[in-house]
Amino acid sequence: MSLIKQDLTRGIIHENPTFRLLLGMCPTLAVTTLVINGLGMGLATTFVLICSNLVISAVRQLIPDRIRIPCFIMIIATFVTIAEMLLRAYQPDLYAALGVFIPLIVVNCIILGRAEAFASKNPLGRSLIDGLGYGVGFTLALLILSAVRELLGKGTLLGINIMGSAFEPMSIFGLPPGAFIALGLLLALMNVVSRKLGID
Amino acid sequence: MKDSVRMAVTLMVIGIICAGVLGVVHGITAPIIEERQAQEFEAAIKEFLPQATQFEEEEIEGVAFVVGNNDAGELEGVVATVQVSGYNGTIEYNLAVDANGDILGLRIVSHEETPGIGDIIEEPEFQDQLIGKNVEDPVEIGNDVDTISGATFSTRPILLSVREVLNLIGGNFLGLEIEEEADLDLSTVEDGIYTGSAPGFSGDDIVVEVTVEGGKITKIEVIEHNDTPDVAAKAIAEMPNRIIEAQSIDVDLVSGATYSSEGIVNAVVDALSN
Repeated sequence: MSLIKQDLTRGIIHENPTFRLLLGMCPTLAVTTLVINGLGMGLATTFVLICSNLVISAVRQLIPDRIRIPCFIMIIATFVTIAEMLLRAYQPDLYAALGVFIPLIVVNCIILGRAEAFASKNPLGRSLIDGLGYGVGFTLALLILSAVRELLGKGTLLGINIMGSAFEPMSIFGLPPGAFIALGLLLALMNVVSRKLGID
Repeated sequence: MKDSVRMAVTLMVIGIICAGVLGVVHGITAPIIEERQAQEFEAAIKEFLPQATQFEEEEIEGVAFVVGNNDAGELEGVVATVQVSGYNGTIEYNLAVDANGDILGLRIVSHEETPGIGDIIEEPEFQDQLIGKNVEDPVEIGNDVDTISGATFSTRPILLSVREVLNLIGGNFLGLEIEEEADLDLSTVEDGIYTGSAPGFSGDDIVVEVTVEGGKITKIEVIEHNDTPDVAAKAIAEMPNRIIEAQSIDVDLVSGATYSSEGIVNAVVDALSN
């Protein structure tokens, strides 16, 4: 039980890809203009992460060590392409919003990182939990970041006006510099919180 | 040896399996995607031409047209599907024109332009300038329409192609006579030195001085331009010679310096038409 819990929470808290490891910054900064985009990117990445962790864990003894990276990349790219085709067919609005960042999931270092560091050394069940944990951690981080940016940049959450008409949106938070500013402030906040809670 | 064979075989097997899986998923999703696109196109036509009940498809010079007629068989309008190269990949768009030759609207079907920069082609900020323009309007960059600064490479090809498509629609469906770009008529030009200008790549004017002697262009000199120096230099080195050799503006443009070359040609036309 504790092993499952450990595998699951590692990616969400102790090694949160965005707030603790600062991995996969490109999609993190680029798509988090709206909550729905952040959520979409998070879920798409989670899907790819779980699937690639599963497959890589399943075939880990068949792949010669020296060519493991190209093999991992091929497997990851396959799942990314599947995710792209599924989104395009069933969620065209989300596909239009996420645009070029979907193919870029291939090079999201969280996915290759988990394949290399965990799935290629551990059994199926643990790899599944590990992928789920990191996916949830990444999705949560994107949700928080995109919520801050949408709220400040547009005064809305999920398209619903929250701040009232008196609020003047700070459009810089919708633009790339605002992404860095928001991420920096959130990182500082997370450091304070984790220190208070004694997580390190 | 045994090792490398094993590695190659492993990679190949994984590759084949991945390709197979993708093929299956593509087979499932492709019809759905296609159907959705067809539906969106149909909805767009309905919106552009609400009165049209009968439709005909036609293809002219690589551009697909849907011609909409009303119950009485009168022309309601034409919707063209156009593909041009943008900054990154192909931009596909629909252009709708009504029976009077007025542009009803532009609809971007697909593009791969840079998010936040080139995707301005989807915005009213860019598209609104075209709505209501007539086939007989100039629709010329710098005249009555303009590129969006910072997104020149995305917006320029659309504006240029809109002009061409308007010519096709006017000539083929509206029964208008669209004048072909006139070649130079040097017989009416007296000897002398003429100055002319036309916008180059930067949008600023390229100024040329054209010398005509005995009914022939003998010299073309670019005296002013604001295009990228290295690029424009190619056009300046080549274009005058090509025009003088051919004694015509119907010459190939210098590749890699298309817009500067075009500017020079237009400036020469401008000089000699004054």
